[in-house]
Amino acid sequence: MEQYFIDIASWPVSRAINESSWIFPLVQAFHLVALGFLAGSILMVDLRLLGKGFSQQPIARVARDARPWLLASLVAMVVTGVPQFMSLATKEYESPYFRWKMMFLVGALIWTFTVKKVVAYSPEGRFGGALTKLVGLVSIALWTCVAVNGRLIGFFS
Amino acid sequence: MIHIALGDYFAPLLNLANYVSELPTSVQLRESQYVMPWVFVLHVISMCMFAGTILMMDLRLLGVGHMQTPFSQVQRRLFPWQMFAMVFSSATGLALVWGNPLNYVANIIFWVKMLAMAVAGLNALAFHFITEYTLVDWDSGQTPPSAAKLAGWLSIFLWANVILSGRLIPYAITWFRS
Repeated sequence: MEQYFIDIASWPVSRAINESSWIFPLVQAFHLVALGFLAGSILMVDLRLLGKGFSQQPIARVARDARPWLLASLVAMVVTGVPQFMSLATKEYESPYFRWKMMFLVGALIWTFTVKKVVAYSPEGRFGGALTKLVGLVSIALWTCVAVNGRLIGFFS
Repeated sequence: MIHIALGDYFAPLLNLANYVSELPTSVQLRESQYVMPWVFVLHVISMCMFAGTILMMDLRLLGVGHMQTPFSQVQRRLFPWQMFAMVFSSATGLALVWGNPLNYVANIIFWVKMLAMAVAGLNALAFHFITEYTLVDWDSGQTPPSAAKLAGWLSIFLWANVILSGRLIPYAITWFRS
């Protein structure tokens, strides 16, 4: 497993990113802009699940409107995230925060596209208010953990 | 490089930064091994909430997002979250500057960020005092007028600039070493 990470870090593309003084910083900065869009499109649905936000609209309508932006910002996050990983692959392998981030990311993605999706797109009133709120809270918690661990990679590794 | 461009006008600001950096709270913040990283973490989380709620409103202004919700509702329902997040961001941002004032006060990218924030604020005010009067005409419509789209584009551009320059502040030292 470790060898695989070492290989990635030695790819010419990875090394080129590392040797440039501006590619990594710019990619990192655009990763954060994408994060803003991602957080917004997730939060609109989560706030609605909590009975806040666009509470005059049905949940399914808010989720439907947020969906293209959720997908687009996820793509932007991956596009700006992968080069960062490539250039630092050996460091990431050793970073506990990178592992935590990836675990929370998998959890957050599964939650978003299974449980949250079912609850958000179901006919109004099929699930109780408390359950709906819980689904929104879990989503916020999972995605927050992804962002927190992502930021911590740069500090303690 | 800021001090070269601004010359004498910069001196009072530098004195203030020097003064703050010697205050016990500033020294404690700077020397704390764990507090500072967590302030950075909280600054990013508050950014998520702030940028998230602002950018989604901008998409509605452009006519490309949340089109099934009237703009007035988007604006009214997101406003408290935007304000809460702004206070949260400002508090964590202030703590970052307080702990390391000399890192920021002479950093050109930091001032680009501050300028972008100020212009973004003016853009929001201009929208509020000019374009918003026409809101009744297009509140639920699918194509907001050009003035609304302009406000949306400017907001996205300026806040993206704030995020970009914010993240790039630490790189100014390697990029613009004179």
